[in-house]
Amino acid sequence: MHRYFTYKGRLLGVMATRRALKAVLIDLSGTLHIEDTAVPGAQDALSRLRQSSVAVKFVTNTTKECKRNLLERLQSLNFDIKETEIFTSLTAARSLVEQRQLRPLLLVEDSALEDFSGMETSEPNAVVIGLAPDQFNYQTMNDAFRLLVEGAPLIAIHKARYYRRKDGLALGPGPFVAGLEYAADCHATVVGKPQGRFFLQALQDMDCAPEEALMIGDDARDDVEGAQNSGMLGILVRTGKYRVGDEGKINPPPYLTCDSFPEAVDHILLHLLHQT
Amino acid sequence: MAAPSWEDSVKSLKGVILDMCGVLYDAGEGGGTPIPGSVEAVKRLKASDLKLRFCTNETQATREKFVAKLQRMGFLISVPEVFSPSPAAVAILKERGLRPHLLVHDDVVPEFDSVEKTNPNCVVIGDAAEKFSYQNLNAAFRVLVGLEKPLLFSLGRGKYYREGDGLNLDVGVYMKALEYACDTEAEVVGKPAPTFFQKVLDDMGIPPHEALMIGDDLVNDVGGAQVCGMKGVQVRTGKYRPSDEKHPTVMADGYVNNLAEAVDTILKLRGQ
Repeated sequence: MHRYFTYKGRLLGVMATRRALKAVLIDLSGTLHIEDTAVPGAQDALSRLRQSSVAVKFVTNTTKECKRNLLERLQSLNFDIKETEIFTSLTAARSLVEQRQLRPLLLVEDSALEDFSGMETSEPNAVVIGLAPDQFNYQTMNDAFRLLVEGAPLIAIHKARYYRRKDGLALGPGPFVAGLEYAADCHATVVGKPQGRFFLQALQDMDCAPEEALMIGDDARDDVEGAQNSGMLGILVRTGKYRVGDEGKINPPPYLTCDSFPEAVDHILLHLLHQT
Repeated sequence: MAAPSWEDSVKSLKGVILDMCGVLYDAGEGGGTPIPGSVEAVKRLKASDLKLRFCTNETQATREKFVAKLQRMGFLISVPEVFSPSPAAVAILKERGLRPHLLVHDDVVPEFDSVEKTNPNCVVIGDAAEKFSYQNLNAAFRVLVGLEKPLLFSLGRGKYYREGDGLNLDVGVYMKALEYACDTEAEVVGKPAPTFFQKVLDDMGIPPHEALMIGDDLVNDVGGAQVCGMKGVQVRTGKYRPSDEKHPTVMADGYVNNLAEAVDTILKLRGQ
């Protein structure tokens, strides 16, 4: 059996028979809030979602904000969130480094170092690279390169080309990762969204298969496509970085595209909590 | 064992092109030091019947200052014999009426004195070394994304070079970074661009199969020259790494321990 979701006569998504939803992954910036403003109704919608049977986790590609900073911002916007529910690309990088027992040279901003506290970083044998303008000076880039050329693995928090800052566009970590890959003839292991590994890691402690999970985000490629490629459902919201037509840029298209986070929650509560 | 293929062609050789850093001298504190035997090797080539040119991707100094440095090291060399990317880039910019935003080493800026730079409509990137900061790269990026079609010129595309005890990142790495950021492909001025090698050949007035390139960079010196129809020999000095001899796509026509050994072989085979 399939269920078809339509809006004003347009087919939005097709859902095969599936188990009831167990977990919802939620993007932060652009989905719950835009800079220092919450998406209207998002706090309420989160509360309603929490009253249902699903578990929630907040997943984000950040390379310069430790969990504590993210949490403080969300709490100041009156979101009901706990630190343990936040899973970031920094968390993913740390767990990969621990799993491989590496000693990383950390090219991350000071504000992100907290998430790596307690790690062994002397005599580094790996390079972890995030968005770290202060570290992207010639000397530090050379230090990183000299490790890579001796065979140290390169771990990238993510590979975004650029991002929008208040004063205009600014380079993301991607260009620096691409440069180091070229220099040392190597391929970075990317740990953030849209890597399948990232979504699966986020579910790890939730006792939940990908087919029982759903991702809500404003980035068609990084949030929705990434999640859907790893077996989850993906809902694209038309807030944050969303641009008209984004839903058509990925194949298969998003399971659902809706105006904002509260609308996505309504859909979940109405349609996805019971086995179909 | 058969002689390496390049030795067969030595007799019909009319000209030799030498890379400079890593072949003539090693970069390092105080401008660097000559590689043992190289000063004498250049002298012997000059005294032979072979034409000699120098071809460098050096973009940390003007050609004049660079040549003066080599003369102080004892090399018999003059400015017109040296081909470097900056003058070639200036010619292209003028020809196409382009106004560059420069991300280059301070010492090479004077090469671009004669070029209009206000309201830039392209970016020229060279080996800016310490000037490769996030801020400077970002400034270049903003010029590029502000253009209808990003236009990026890279003075060479080297990955790294040896300086003192360590390897340092070269311009190619930052070219790649900007290419990735803007989803574009740079136009390379300098080695390994075929037009760059062709200019050197034109200046010597010989066809590519009568020329030999000697360099320490397998891809840009040797591979670049081979694409143009020249023979390419790699020296085991400078940035040479043993893994170069097992490179997946470029195979040199021969390897020599250093320039002195290459010149010895050439002159011996030619009976000089």
